[in-house]
Amino acid sequence: MSMFRAKKLDLGCFTNIKIIRDHSKRKAFEAAEAERQALRYTIRNTTLPPRTRAIAQLQLTQMHCYTRPTQIRNRCILGGKGRGILTDFKMTRYNFRLQALAGNLPGVKKASW
Amino acid sequence: MSVPRARLLDLMRARCELFSTTFNPEGVRTGNKILRQKLKGPALASYYPRKVMTFRDFQKEFQPLELEVENEDEIDRLEHIAGLKSRGKGAPKKKREKDTSKKR
Repeated sequence: MSMFRAKKLDLGCFTNIKIIRDHSKRKAFEAAEAERQALRYTIRNTTLPPRTRAIAQLQLTQMHCYTRPTQIRNRCILGGKGRGILTDFKMTRYNFRLQALAGNLPGVKKASW
Repeated sequence: MSVPRARLLDLMRARCELFSTTFNPEGVRTGNKILRQKLKGPALASYYPRKVMTFRDFQKEFQPLELEVENEDEIDRLEHIAGLKSRGKGAPKKKREKDTSKKR
């Protein structure tokens, strides 16, 4: 959603719309995280009146989907792909291989024995 | 050798005071585990590398020293476009907003 997008591109990696979208989701989640946790606490607290908890449940479900952490997906910072990502290097397995063979990843070495 | 419940509760209360945890002998769900969780927003939001500096900023930095920096990528791009234009393969010019009535 464009209202969550930064007015000026603030990414320094490979960019395509999927990466921009994912980045906006991350920022939206960061901004709304405290509110989400407060609502989650209210919902799980059985000492509160049931009505309050039900209202909190509704509020949580009615928050924008961009503020949901499950919307976030790790993407490759070199090609924007969403599958086969090595989380430690934020890259797809193929880009990781290329970078590792080129010696751009400190401490990574091709195994041989 | 059974210990009375009241005594056990006292022990529990003392333990909670010592380690500053919530005294909750019935095990009622108070949702405290949500409050104990760390916020993971900052870690998630810093996944993609941010833009540090643009080439224009870089050129501006060197302007007061009267040093010119050439953006080779930009020059290549302009050359490519000039080549296309000379062959008549360039992008068409933008339409003027004259015939707005004809819009479908």
